[in-house]
Amino acid sequence: MNKMNSTKTLNISLNNSSFAKKISQFWARYHVSIIITLLIIASVFAFGVYYLNGLGLSYNDARSHLDIGRRVVEGLKPGLAQLGSVWLPLPHILMVPTIWNDFFWHSGLSGAIQSMVSFVTTAVIIYMFLKKIGVSIFGRIIGVLIFTLNLNILYLQSTAMTELLLIATMTTGVYYLMLWSKDERILDLIKSAFFVMLSTLVRYDGWFLLILSIILIAIEVLRKKGYKVTEGTVILFATLAGFGVALWFLWNLLIFKDALYFIYGPYSARAQQLQLEEAGVLATKGDIFFSTKVYLYALLYSSNAFITILGSIGAVIFWLDKKIKTSIKIVSTALFAPLAFNILALYLGHSVLFVQGLSGDTWFNVRYGVMMMPPIAIFVGYLTHKATSLKYVLVGLITFVLFFSFVNLDAVTIDDARVGSSQKNVSEVSNWLKNNADKDGFILISAASHDAIIFSSGFPMSKFIHEGTGAYWESATISPDRWARWIVMRTNDVNDSTFKLVSESKAYELGRYTLVNHYPFADIYEIKPEFVENLNTEFSIRISK
Amino acid sequence: MRIVRKILNLLFYLFVVAILALSLRGNLGSPNSIEMNSVEWKREGPFELSPERGRIALVYSLVENKSFIFDLNITKFTAPDVAQRKDGEFVSLFAPGVSFTAIPGYVIGKYFGASQVGAYATSTLFALLNVVLIQFIARRFGVTKAASMIASLTYLFASPAFAYAINLYQHHISTFLILLSVYILISWKNIWSLAGIWFLFAASIVIDYPNVVLLSPIAIFALTRIFVFKTDQEKLVIKFKYFAFLTFFTALIPIGFFMWSNIESYGNPLQLSGTLERVKVVQDESALTDRQLVQRELEGKNPDKKEKTATGFFQTRKLLDGFYIHILSDERGVLWYTPVMLFGIIGACLLYRKKTTIYVVLIGIVGLNIILYSMWGDPWGGWAFGSRYLIPSYAILSVFIGIALSYFRKSYIFLAIFLPVFIYSVLVNALGAITTSTIPPKIEAVALEKLSGVEEKYSFNRNIDYLLSNQSKSFIWRTFAKDKIPAVSYYWILVSSVLIVSGSILAYMKLMESRDE
Repeated sequence: MNKMNSTKTLNISLNNSSFAKKISQFWARYHVSIIITLLIIASVFAFGVYYLNGLGLSYNDARSHLDIGRRVVEGLKPGLAQLGSVWLPLPHILMVPTIWNDFFWHSGLSGAIQSMVSFVTTAVIIYMFLKKIGVSIFGRIIGVLIFTLNLNILYLQSTAMTELLLIATMTTGVYYLMLWSKDERILDLIKSAFFVMLSTLVRYDGWFLLILSIILIAIEVLRKKGYKVTEGTVILFATLAGFGVALWFLWNLLIFKDALYFIYGPYSARAQQLQLEEAGVLATKGDIFFSTKVYLYALLYSSNAFITILGSIGAVIFWLDKKIKTSIKIVSTALFAPLAFNILALYLGHSVLFVQGLSGDTWFNVRYGVMMMPPIAIFVGYLTHKATSLKYVLVGLITFVLFFSFVNLDAVTIDDARVGSSQKNVSEVSNWLKNNADKDGFILISAASHDAIIFSSGFPMSKFIHEGTGAYWESATISPDRWARWIVMRTNDVNDSTFKLVSESKAYELGRYTLVNHYPFADIYEIKPEFVENLNTEFSIRISK
Repeated sequence: MRIVRKILNLLFYLFVVAILALSLRGNLGSPNSIEMNSVEWKREGPFELSPERGRIALVYSLVENKSFIFDLNITKFTAPDVAQRKDGEFVSLFAPGVSFTAIPGYVIGKYFGASQVGAYATSTLFALLNVVLIQFIARRFGVTKAASMIASLTYLFASPAFAYAINLYQHHISTFLILLSVYILISWKNIWSLAGIWFLFAASIVIDYPNVVLLSPIAIFALTRIFVFKTDQEKLVIKFKYFAFLTFFTALIPIGFFMWSNIESYGNPLQLSGTLERVKVVQDESALTDRQLVQRELEGKNPDKKEKTATGFFQTRKLLDGFYIHILSDERGVLWYTPVMLFGIIGACLLYRKKTTIYVVLIGIVGLNIILYSMWGDPWGGWAFGSRYLIPSYAILSVFIGIALSYFRKSYIFLAIFLPVFIYSVLVNALGAITTSTIPPKIEAVALEKLSGVEEKYSFNRNIDYLLSNQSKSFIWRTFAKDKIPAVSYYWILVSSVLIVSGSILAYMKLMESRDE
């Protein structure tokens, strides 16, 4: 009956005493280092790919982030005040050590470095998180691979966007919170507070994590130790974790004379959302069902539908697992902070997100979906660990899906960056400037509206007079013919602050500028030759108001 | 007693054959290539959709013209699913396996004056074989005889497998190859079983290219019988049975046939026909049906149209929509067409607890099946009845249903829940078998509505309308019963027969259980 067992077999035996044993010992000792090395290689490789194909700078926001960092060190009025209030400051502060270098600025590397470091850090944290909850090496590696082999993550880690930094700080914060709940070491709580504080300085998602963490800590300590200890623990955590938020209020008060300037200022997200609402495209506002639907779709598209489903199953099993301490389960809820935050932000109208076929015809801000990648990776890693004999099936199916996502280069974030609202192909305007504005003289432009043009022109920041140049801006918008050889603005669009102010100036009314050309995102005006000699073209000119 | 059981067993299979025969689609006659293009044979007849036409066209061409190259009538009949070679000749766009398998049926049918019916009976034969295999596999997992019978009936009559057992599609043949491979794997461990697995694996590609994915868990599992890795504290032992390598040679037979067929058709032994561009032969605008106009418009709106590649058919971004279409939607979803399959999940959980190694293979096939066709550019399967691509999964889930039924055979609650869901599923799927498979996807139905101003249904409600208008595509009804009984009555006769027999088997199962106690 069993003929095959009676056939001859060839045995290859590797004696464990020497070579195999050494490999085993080497792996046991250095496996984290090996994983980090591989992650670094993957990170650098991905950056190289997106740098060479030019996609690394496709996001309009990526160019704006780089410009903000650059303005801190170079421009007509450099300094920390250039950090502004549009975005939280940590990503731009981290750029400062490298952004002075033109290559680091124009390659995007200055912003991408922090994303790349964050990418490696998050992957390691996922590994450590799984290790601490007792997941086998197999499950841990699967968790890391789920995160690192997501094309959207690989793309975003190659850009100067803030997602990866936020993911890293939030995930690390939750990781230490989990360690604290597990071992009750106060040092872990302090570490958690530090990373949560960092996350509050990256994006407002971090503020939500701060509140959620405080609630979870309160529940956890109250459950175990009563009110008094809870009070002390919460104060300890909140003092450090909330420090960044307090600094941000203080910053706005000092620089803009209004602690809430970042909320109500003219360039705030709220102001933008109001414009969108007026345009009738803020469909999620006030509709919790649609907000949830839109974010879940963004999540499924950016995190891969199949892998997200596996992660959800893993999360349920994690919650039902009696071997895992209740306290770990409670604090691990913080991993879902991005999910709750994004739905809430969409519902309140503080955020806008389009999913093709569901709302709008683009993928605008669909990248918010990747914020849930760390928990998905963790729970898929956990699921494969629990799946025993089925783990090979799961790995096979995951490999199958990932194979096709790479073969077809399926990354919604790249689509968002390349077409639609998140991209801004300003090459026509910037090429004109590059070829024609290399003479003496300043360019008057609104950085809030046209940072991408400033970036793509290739000129130093000191060539531009923008909102952040203080007296230069004030003077140039009143008397452009004294300061600006070229004006870049959207004619007849009062949302463009250059047009809004310059259109009221005498020089504009008297026709001292010639319209060079209309372009998709802006028009270029050049001063008439007879007025050139009256222009200020030097860097430091004292202006007396 | 044993003789009684054998007779009952025989009666069971005769019953299945009878129901399939009563449902088999067709017209009386052996049409030539001109007649095949008539409305009577195409839209109103058995050649209603292009997958059937594409395959029967190759059968006709091979038998009647002794050639892979289509004549102009056959080209017109097959369009738009026809490819044009560099020398201008028209050839089939489908993998050739189904057509070659149908040749004997066609020839026998032609002898009796019903060539199309004979060809279509090929699918019916494989559907019957699948019924047998489901029972055999279920029995291997310790399922009672009665539960295994119900499992096989669930597959055939309570899932869209019914609607594809009576026409010429690849699904039942693919499912047969999968089930046979699984049965071989769990029944034998000798060298001949491996030889059989490799042969079936290669043959499956000739039937339908995606089978290479669906059968891959079986192939991987079979490989573990050649390579064995064992570790203990002292050493790592890698064993491989080099004599077993010889078994790979059996795969060369189907591969050789496949390459020969490709050379004859496309001039390239490695050409996958699905990667060729379709040729739209019908040029006359006025000759286009509303449906063709809509499809052309929808194709024109697709901005992502890229060069066709084998991997390009599968897009991970479509996963979400695909899951929805296959599982939840009222267009094709399991939930609407065959909710009884959900009981298979219970059986799968029960089998998981048994720690059977083959379980991994079965779950792998179901997982790959759902994922593969969720990524497929057209998860609807064109105009179709239910989710036809999931037919292999229905077969495996039916085995799991057998396990669940066997396990819960004492439970009245389980049976009380199972029975109405089973009845619903049979009612729905008998509709598809008796009437038509031409159910448009919602997107096309909506576009058609705009064009025609008439309501276009996109679920099995369309089949109900078809039946209520006293129409059926059943060969026997059309040929012998049309003037005697209305289509609706014919449907009820079929459905009640299936339900009575299934109910009797369930009652028998319960009776035997009570007697054992």
